[in-house]
Amino acid sequence: MNLFISFETGLREILSHKFRSFLSMLGIVLGVASLVATMALTGGMERGMRAFMEQMGGLEMVNIVDKEISSDLLDFWNLSPGRTLQDAHVIKAAAPLVSHVSPQIAFGLSASTADDSLRVRAAGVWPDYLAVAKHEIEAGRFLTDLDVDKGLRTAVIGAAVVDHLWPHWSPQAVIGQTIHLNDTPFTVVGVFKRYERDRDRLARERGTAQAVEERRARRGGRGGGWDPFRTKNEAVAIPLTTMFYEFRSGAFPDDSADTVRLENLSVRVGNLDHFEAALNEMRQALDITHRGVDDFGFDTREDWFDQMEQRMNATRTSGGLIAAIALIVGGIGITNIMLASITERVREIGIRRAVGARARDIFFQIVIESVIIALMGGVLGILVGVGLVQLITLIAPGDNEPLISSFSVLLSVTFAAVAGLVSGIYPALQASRLDPIQALRYE
Amino acid sequence: MPLVHLQDVRKTYVLGGQEIHALAGVDLSIEEGEFVAIIGPSGSGKSTLMHLLGCLDTPTSGKMEICGHDLSSASSDELSGVRNREIGFVFQSFNLLPRLNVVENVEVPLIYSGMAARERRERAEAVVRRVGLEARMRNRPTQLSGGQCQRVAIARALVNNPRIVFGDEPTGNLDSHTGELILGIFAELHQAGRTVVLVTHDPEIAAVTHRVIEIRDGRVRREYDPRTAPPDAAKIAGH
Repeated sequence: MNLFISFETGLREILSHKFRSFLSMLGIVLGVASLVATMALTGGMERGMRAFMEQMGGLEMVNIVDKEISSDLLDFWNLSPGRTLQDAHVIKAAAPLVSHVSPQIAFGLSASTADDSLRVRAAGVWPDYLAVAKHEIEAGRFLTDLDVDKGLRTAVIGAAVVDHLWPHWSPQAVIGQTIHLNDTPFTVVGVFKRYERDRDRLARERGTAQAVEERRARRGGRGGGWDPFRTKNEAVAIPLTTMFYEFRSGAFPDDSADTVRLENLSVRVGNLDHFEAALNEMRQALDITHRGVDDFGFDTREDWFDQMEQRMNATRTSGGLIAAIALIVGGIGITNIMLASITERVREIGIRRAVGARARDIFFQIVIESVIIALMGGVLGILVGVGLVQLITLIAPGDNEPLISSFSVLLSVTFAAVAGLVSGIYPALQASRLDPIQALRYE
Repeated sequence: MPLVHLQDVRKTYVLGGQEIHALAGVDLSIEEGEFVAIIGPSGSGKSTLMHLLGCLDTPTSGKMEICGHDLSSASSDELSGVRNREIGFVFQSFNLLPRLNVVENVEVPLIYSGMAARERRERAEAVVRRVGLEARMRNRPTQLSGGQCQRVAIARALVNNPRIVFGDEPTGNLDSHTGELILGIFAELHQAGRTVVLVTHDPEIAAVTHRVIEIRDGRVRREYDPRTAPPDAAKIAGH
């Protein structure tokens, strides 16, 4: 007897007891549904976090940060000039594994037009800022070496700044306009792309953004919680030299355009394979400018990524555990129902044995029946899981759109099939061990 | 070479620590084409004998050959194979599968001999026609009369073209008229050259056969041809 026949017989048996079969697959349905939902939600979270990480500079970005020096070096502390533009120059010259160097002087300014004004934290930067901070240009251009060398009054601004100062203007229209930074006129030469979370993009695409905003306003909130892209959207970038001459000269008497202290120094490593080597190159270069004082450190994104991975894994594990328990319970349910159904079918088994069924034919019939039940439960479970995900996004829209991957669907179906197989084995063994004579006499 | 050959066959059950000799040394041969009745009161060992002959069981000791297969110590799978190909069963209580229709019931043995679906269907339908139930092919057993059910069972017994057909009290659940019709079918099978073995306690049924084997206390007590034996022989064979 081939498997197809067992399949046909099993399907007939299942269909002739629709409600009972449905009850027995319920556990599997719930298990698979929770598995699909968990994987969809964590998948979405993961994708969202990765995208955010990518936006914030990715793994290749390294921040050079100030470090508390150890107490025995305290006497030499004055020797080190700290984090200055010199560092940026020396890294650029002596660390070839570093592809982009972005020094930054930041300054809180008021940005205004004739009509409106806005507090911003402007950044005086080099052209490498674009690559290191992973900005993208929507209209116009970014700052160039020429802007920096000549100390031109040019600015590249974020989408949120445009929204505020030129409401309903297109990014292209803003190019060439004048923006006053603390009353100094600057020409807008470029506008950054608008950075959005999945949730905001969806809301905008569905045209519900307005409604969401209104709801927020009623609640008295100021924009949906923590928006990781807000800083990026509110960016105002001007040449580093301009920043120094216009706003910062004189803050520290020793500062010159070449040695100015930096608020931020970030670099981008060209090739992640040589990440450690690049750090070493930088350390050697900075030891010179800092005169051997160990007052700097490297802040890499690796720790961030590790933390993220850990959080994802924790979510996945707990979700998977719930799904696994549901699948086990579902499997036990199938075992139970199959055992009951066998007691009911002892005579049938006897008849089949009498006309030539071998013990293993009976075994396969029962196993395949329970696998079919489980698979049906699996398919139902996927539908329920997809519905559940829709429901969750409807009720409580998260920061990330859930992601139902074909892998998670395949995995769920496989788990369901395995649960069916395992739970069918014991009843099938019982059935196949029935003595044909006893079974025929059974009333 | 006889179709069925039993030599000093014994079957012993252990029940509650006590040995029960259901068959205590049976010697028996049935030739191809015979029409045989096995009779005996309940407890005589007739059912045990019938289970052995029907390859549902193996003997505790002795030599048993059926259709050329030595089944003295056959495995469960071998027995299944012989049951499937060489033996057709007709039971007292019909033993049809309630959820399958007439043709599907008849098909069941063919499923286990691994026949392709279309051929199976054709064969089953042909046999159903032969027992006169072409109008009932798609009916479930519950929609049929007892006589019709037994004809379905006969069709199922014949579908694999077996060499022996066993009837285990085949008229036990039928009224006497229907019973006669069913016995008529068995007689026809015999006339067509098939070996037919009826197991019964009813001497009147045994009387339609050509050879009666009477079992008593696990042994063959006597054998006779009901067509020539004295009438009292039938009485003795009864209760």
